[in-house]
Formats: sequence, structure tokens, C-alpha cells
Amino acid sequence: MGTVGLALPWEHKLSPVAREGEQRVEPFEGQTEPVRTGEELPQDAAIAAACLSGNLQGYERLYQWQGTRMKNLARNLLGSQSDAEDAVQETFLKIQRSISGFRGQSSFVTWTFRILVNTCHDLRRSRLRRKDRANEDVDALPPRMELRATGSHPSLRMALERALAKITAHQRDVFLLYEVEGFRHAEIAGMLEISETASKNTLFQAKKNLRTMLEPPRSSATGGAQ
Amino acid sequence: MNITCNDRERVLLEGSPEEWGALEQHAGTCAVCTEELRAWKQLSAAAIEMRDYQESPALWTRIETSLRQQQAAPVPRAAVWNSFDFWRHAGMVWQSALAGGMVVALAVSSGYLYTHRAVQPTVQGSQLLKTSALAEVERTEREYMAAIDKLAADARPQLNTDTPLMASYREKILVLDSAIADLRAQAGENPSNAHLRKQLLAMYQEKQQTLQDVLETKR
Repeated sequence: MGTVGLALPWEHKLSPVAREGEQRVEPFEGQTEPVRTGEELPQDAAIAAACLSGNLQGYERLYQWQGTRMKNLARNLLGSQSDAEDAVQETFLKIQRSISGFRGQSSFVTWTFRILVNTCHDLRRSRLRRKDRANEDVDALPPRMELRATGSHPSLRMALERALAKITAHQRDVFLLYEVEGFRHAEIAGMLEISETASKNTLFQAKKNLRTMLEPPRSSATGGAQ
Repeated sequence: MNITCNDRERVLLEGSPEEWGALEQHAGTCAVCTEELRAWKQLSAAAIEMRDYQESPALWTRIETSLRQQQAAPVPRAAVWNSFDFWRHAGMVWQSALAGGMVVALAVSSGYLYTHRAVQPTVQGSQLLKTSALAEVERTEREYMAAIDKLAADARPQLNTDTPLMASYREKILVLDSAIADLRAQAGENPSNAHLRKQLLAMYQEKQQTLQDVLETKR
């Protein structure tokens, strides 16, 4: 195999699924990305308007549109399915409480995910506080991922999850939002309240760190050559 | 477009589609860049494995219930904040103008309070305190001097006796009177000097003690 420790089993063949609506500069091979077209904007605005009017159907449409994506991000940030569901529920409650403050300066989805990311960080902090880890820097602690059986390449995912647990929380946020959830840097910048350039730099640094952690040891990769 | 190994990180960070194409082309002849590009793309591919968009059937029901409960619950102190709701709907120009107006009003009122209330009472207060304290000291000093003069009058017959001891006491009292006169003159020029007042008090106490000693010898 040539993979030890965190080394990613690169030789896994990833299922070649055609990407639709490719918007990125970076060329990918065999990946899917959530389709984002100009048609999303009216839907985004319509759902925001429904929520603003206090109509619960607006929230239901938001859930149907982004619920699984929200839950997936929360799960990757928090490490457990039940915590992720709590985070999504709390996010919807926060949206309802603060919907009057939504100014439309970003898309409603961007605003929603900003709340979700902050909620996940809050939940993680409170969960760790409950575990009497007051002396540790809770923000620096990575999520502990629970086992899940889905996915065609579980070893690939597990290796990446373990590596993600070793990079900074900020790098992890950007990596998950960009690479896993398929958001653009402009959207991530709005969610994390950073500049687009900072988002690009953070992603680059995250991928460099992950690359270093996941690359096979030189000795086995090159047959013992240094 | 000519891309070399030195351009690789920049292209990976923020390369244009053309630059990516050129890097791919360059990687065809460069083993290091081939490996880097492959690893970079594999990382993105691996990230897809972290997508798990399975439905949670009961989650929406849970969320909907909590949303309904929150909607039905009275919002604490909402009425107070609702009165400021106009602020949110005002344009940026109006918000800036209102904020600027509040700053100007605050500055003007602070200036008025500073000039009309802060300075005068302090000056008056300190003057009154000094004057009254000094008057109290001088009044006590006069009473003390009168008492010592009375003591000196009592001791004068004894002092006037022609003995070496009394001659010594007379000389000491003359020195003390001279020192007291000097200190009083200096204190007159600088009435607030606490050090001079302390020295003067020490001289008076010394004179009082001397006169008491004189009267003791009479007994």
C-alpha cells in the first residue's frame, strides 16, 4: 500500500461522476459539486421573504433546499450526528429570532450558513466546557468524528477526517465549506466575515498542511530512495 | 503561456483557468509538478467523500415544533426595542446624520457642564478649605500663646531670682523667644507653610515645658 499513519490511500479509484455547473478555476477530476446557477437567486430571495413574513413554510423550504447540506457541514464540524441535528435546529431558531436583522447584503443561504458555523462553534465550546476542559483552548480542539458507514471509500474519508482534526479550526472551516460543501470563496468570505483573498490563502494553507500529513512516506513511495 | 515550477504555488493559490491549463501542460514534462498536481486534485476528490447528504426524517418535525413554540412565546422586552425599529429602516445617510447629531449634542452638553459646573465649585471649595483651616490654626495659636504668656507671668518671680539655675532658664527662654519671633515672622510671609507651623509649635511646647520646669523648682 505504501501508506502509514495518516497517509491517504491515493491509489483508491474515485468514482468518476461528471461535475455539473462547474464554476471553479481549479480543474477537478471526477467530482460532483452542488449545482449553483442564477436560478438560485430568486429562490433565495423568495425564501428569505417568506421567512421574514413569519411564514413557517419559508423555513420548511429552506430546510428542504439546504437542510442536508447544513447537517453535513455541522456533522463535519462537530463530529456527531446528534450534535449536528441540534446545531441545525438551533440555527433555524436563531434565524427566526433574528430574521428582521437580515439586510440582504449577502444571499440568504450565506447568512444562514454564517449562523450555522457560529452555532457549531458555540455548541462545541459548550460541549467541551461540560467535559471540564477549562484549561484547554477549546477552539483549538478538533472535533472527534464518530464512525459512519456511508461513502464508497471509508478509509479515504477517515484518513482525511483524521488529518482535518490536526489543522486549525479556521482552516478546517474554509476547507469544509469550499471542498466539501462547494461554496465559492466570495460566499465563504461572507460566512466567516473575512476577505475573499483571506479565504483563498486559508484554503491554500489548509491543503498544503493536509497534503503534508497525507502524503505517503518518501521511503515507501520511492522504494527507499531519499 | 509559459509556466515553470516556480509558478506552481501561485497557480495553485489563485491561478486563472489559462494558467491552470499551462501548469497541466508543464506537468506533462515535470515529474515534481505532476506529483504535486495529482496530490492537490486527489485532496479535493477525497473531500467529496465527506459529503453525506442523507435525510433525517424526524429532524424537520422537531425543528418545526420548536419554531412554532418560539413563535408563540412572547418576546421579552420586544416593545422597547420595537420603538427603535425605525433605525433599521433608515438609510445609511440618515443613520450617519443622526449619529453625527447625537455626537454633536453630546459634545455640546459635555462642554457646557464642564465650563459651568466642574471648575467653579472646585476653586471655591479649595479656597474655603484653606482659609478656614488657616484661621483655625491661627486662632488656636493665639490661645496657646496667651496660655503660655499667663504661664510666663506665673513663673516670672521665680525666674527673677538670682541663682545660676534661673539665669540658665532665663537665657534659654530668651533663645526660645527669639526663635519664636523669627518663625512667626516667616509664617507671616507664608501662612500656608505647614513645616514652619510645626517648628513654631515645637518652640512653644519647649517654652511651655521650660516654664513648667521653672515653676516646679519653686515647689
